[in-house]
Amino acid sequence: MIIRAKFTKRNYLKYLSHLDLMRLFQRSFSTIQMPIKYSEGFNPHPKFSIANPLSLGLESECEYMDIDITEHIDIDDFIKEINMVLPEDIQITKAICLEKGESISSVLSWAYYEIKVDLNQEESVESLEESISKWLKKEEVLITRLKKKGKNKVPTEINIVPLLGNITIKGLDENNYIVINALLRTGEGGNLKPVQLMEAMSRDLNLNLDLDSLLIKRIALYAEKDKNIYCPL
Amino acid sequence: MINKLKLDKVLMKVEKPARYIGMEKNSYKKDLNKVNVKFAFSFPDVYEVGMSHLGLQIIYNLINSVESFACERVFAPWVDMEREMRKEGIPLYSLESKEEVKNFDFLGFTLQYEMSYTNILNILDLSHIPFNSKDRDESFPIIIAGGSCAYNPEPLANFFDLFVIGEGEEVILELLNLYDELKKGPYSKDSFLMEASKIEGVYVPKFYNVSYNEDGTINEMYPLVANLPKVINKRYVIDLDRMYTPDKLIVPYIDTVHDRIALELFRGCTRGCRFCQAGILYRPIREKSVENLVKISENLVNNTGYDSISLMSLSSCDYSQLLLLTKELMRKYEDKKIGLSLPSLRLDSFSIDILKEIEKVRKSGLTFAPEAGSQRLRDVINKGVTEDDLVNAVTYAFEEGWSRVKLYFMIGLPTETDEDIMGIKDLAYLVKDIFFNRPNEERKGNFKVTASASCFVPKPFTPFQWYGQDTIDEFLRKIYMVKNSIKDKKVVFNYHDADLSYIEAIFARGDRRLSDLLVNAWRKGCKFDGWSDLFRYDLWLEALEESNIDGSFYANRTRDINEVLPWDFINSGVSKEFLIREYKNAIDGKTTDDCRNGCRACGITDCSMRGAYN
Repeated sequence: MIIRAKFTKRNYLKYLSHLDLMRLFQRSFSTIQMPIKYSEGFNPHPKFSIANPLSLGLESECEYMDIDITEHIDIDDFIKEINMVLPEDIQITKAICLEKGESISSVLSWAYYEIKVDLNQEESVESLEESISKWLKKEEVLITRLKKKGKNKVPTEINIVPLLGNITIKGLDENNYIVINALLRTGEGGNLKPVQLMEAMSRDLNLNLDLDSLLIKRIALYAEKDKNIYCPL
Repeated sequence: MINKLKLDKVLMKVEKPARYIGMEKNSYKKDLNKVNVKFAFSFPDVYEVGMSHLGLQIIYNLINSVESFACERVFAPWVDMEREMRKEGIPLYSLESKEEVKNFDFLGFTLQYEMSYTNILNILDLSHIPFNSKDRDESFPIIIAGGSCAYNPEPLANFFDLFVIGEGEEVILELLNLYDELKKGPYSKDSFLMEASKIEGVYVPKFYNVSYNEDGTINEMYPLVANLPKVINKRYVIDLDRMYTPDKLIVPYIDTVHDRIALELFRGCTRGCRFCQAGILYRPIREKSVENLVKISENLVNNTGYDSISLMSLSSCDYSQLLLLTKELMRKYEDKKIGLSLPSLRLDSFSIDILKEIEKVRKSGLTFAPEAGSQRLRDVINKGVTEDDLVNAVTYAFEEGWSRVKLYFMIGLPTETDEDIMGIKDLAYLVKDIFFNRPNEERKGNFKVTASASCFVPKPFTPFQWYGQDTIDEFLRKIYMVKNSIKDKKVVFNYHDADLSYIEAIFARGDRRLSDLLVNAWRKGCKFDGWSDLFRYDLWLEALEESNIDGSFYANRTRDINEVLPWDFINSGVSKEFLIREYKNAIDGKTTDDCRNGCRACGITDCSMRGAYN
């Protein structure tokens, strides 16, 4: 049996690496004595996986995790108990029990981000909006990525336009950072990191954005079926 | 509070940013505006090291157990973080409230090793706090220190407002309560320090002066203020079962050096190894009861989620109820997949039996510490193990399935000859022969023996406190003698940095005149000196030269028994007569038996061994 859970990763806990996060969950599961399945072998480890792990430094409102369990447990009790031992900024917001199914990572194909960045110059939101929307109409925006070829990593140019979904400018926040929402491809069918989008945007539009100041939050992860985007949980 | 946007910028650029965020399970987050006393506790090394220190967990929980006090943590930022913080102009902050260190009432350092001293200066600098106590007015925190290196506080005397000598569980609250009380009236820092100096175990360096002889040795240390004690007595807790013991530990998110429950069985040690400072400082021996330990372990397991308990002590196998304790703990935790481990092992069959019992699953490497290569030298240092003990222990270990053995040695011990040194190689080869002399079909695993040699640093309050350290050249000669004689891939020889041990020896037995040296070394960029890849001997040599300090005066000179030592004004409870007697016994190659088998009259009062066996 599998528990599919949705959880947050907020505030300073965005600085936990994937490995640290896995350890935190492992410890928390053992604290509440969850009947978790262990892998076979010399060094057994609990079976659970987090889909599309976040890069270090990104917050999220919506991460997904599959947990293999050996016996049925009450979902509401599980959420209540695990949230007691988890930190305030990492909380399970929803969970369901599945008999068996596709792994959560194979289902997810779009990620929705909120991106905040310090606009290093005096430019109005309106004019920025205009230049960005012009930029988004281009058929080709190339970025360079290192791709593995055998043992070496070779710089390869790729067009990111097919990886872009809706991108909207929300305005300025209380720190005078510009706020952008972006839907980007994720998973096996192509992947674009929000940082790469901002690098390309800053480069092509001569925006001189202070990329060190980027604050990124993943707001949602979506699956896609017959051109319909939906929430998997 | 520091600027969060700036901090975010910096944290995105550094390695392991989770070192700098706090927020761990069981950490406190009090509103600093609503407490009477704000205490910043600093372990002057990187987070992963500091968080592995049990003393931090005790003091942190103890102070925070008082509602009107808050204790928050401060570590040394790693070099990348320091660079970015300086670039962005972020001052050093506490992990909990992200509050500037400068805004706390107290900044307390734990002094665990001499090579962390430059980090202390770096922490003060990053906090925008002047180094010298005389340059700090009332607006700065009171800077205090404790821990085992505080037993020779003199090299740091200029920097600290006060030192706590001995165990902190009782003194720390006495100090904070005093401060809390005085703050209600017309407060001045001097009045606080004056009142604090009346607390047993508290040393306020600025109230004392030192005069020197022409040859550079100390003539006299004397109080500058009437009614101050000439001798500072160490503090220790008499009954560990009634002492404050935390029922929870902060659980770090990132992997730390010691990432498990530390269960302290007892304090003190009865073995009397003559090189060992802890063995003297933590006397008398005091055990916790099995009942209490089981209860503590239960709390810690429930509150942390750790799956491993380490039974900690100076010599854990000497715990008088060890068999009973391990049985109780195994019975309780085996089903919960919680493992036990023993960090310090002796070379006797009893230890191996216990080990066999508790390490049923993982058979990792085994570590033994014969400390010296020959029986003659082991007698000199009073390490009561024989070659037979080693043979029996490793034979047994190989039978039980272990295949990797580590042996720890020291070089530069008093009376050491080249023959003693070559004994290191002989013992390593002996272990190898024992393994390969077993029938082929009974040999399990991939055999390796590692012999590690550290360079001996004479420490205050040990029978070897007078003894001059070997020169670096002499260390290297001895090291290469062993290294070049080993020509076997299954025998590995490691050795510690002799340069580093030399600087450590200077500070271990140093006096007040070393303050400038420390500042100069820090100015040149020395920090994290305990990390051999960051240790800059070249800079230390320059600093020694510019400070006009002869390092050999402190490190290599064998001191006269009658010389006034910089730490003579501290009473560790063990008498100087005992140390002299033991020094002479060492030179004569005479051993002194474990004090469980009869009192050796070391000078400690309130010792249970005394009542029980004499």
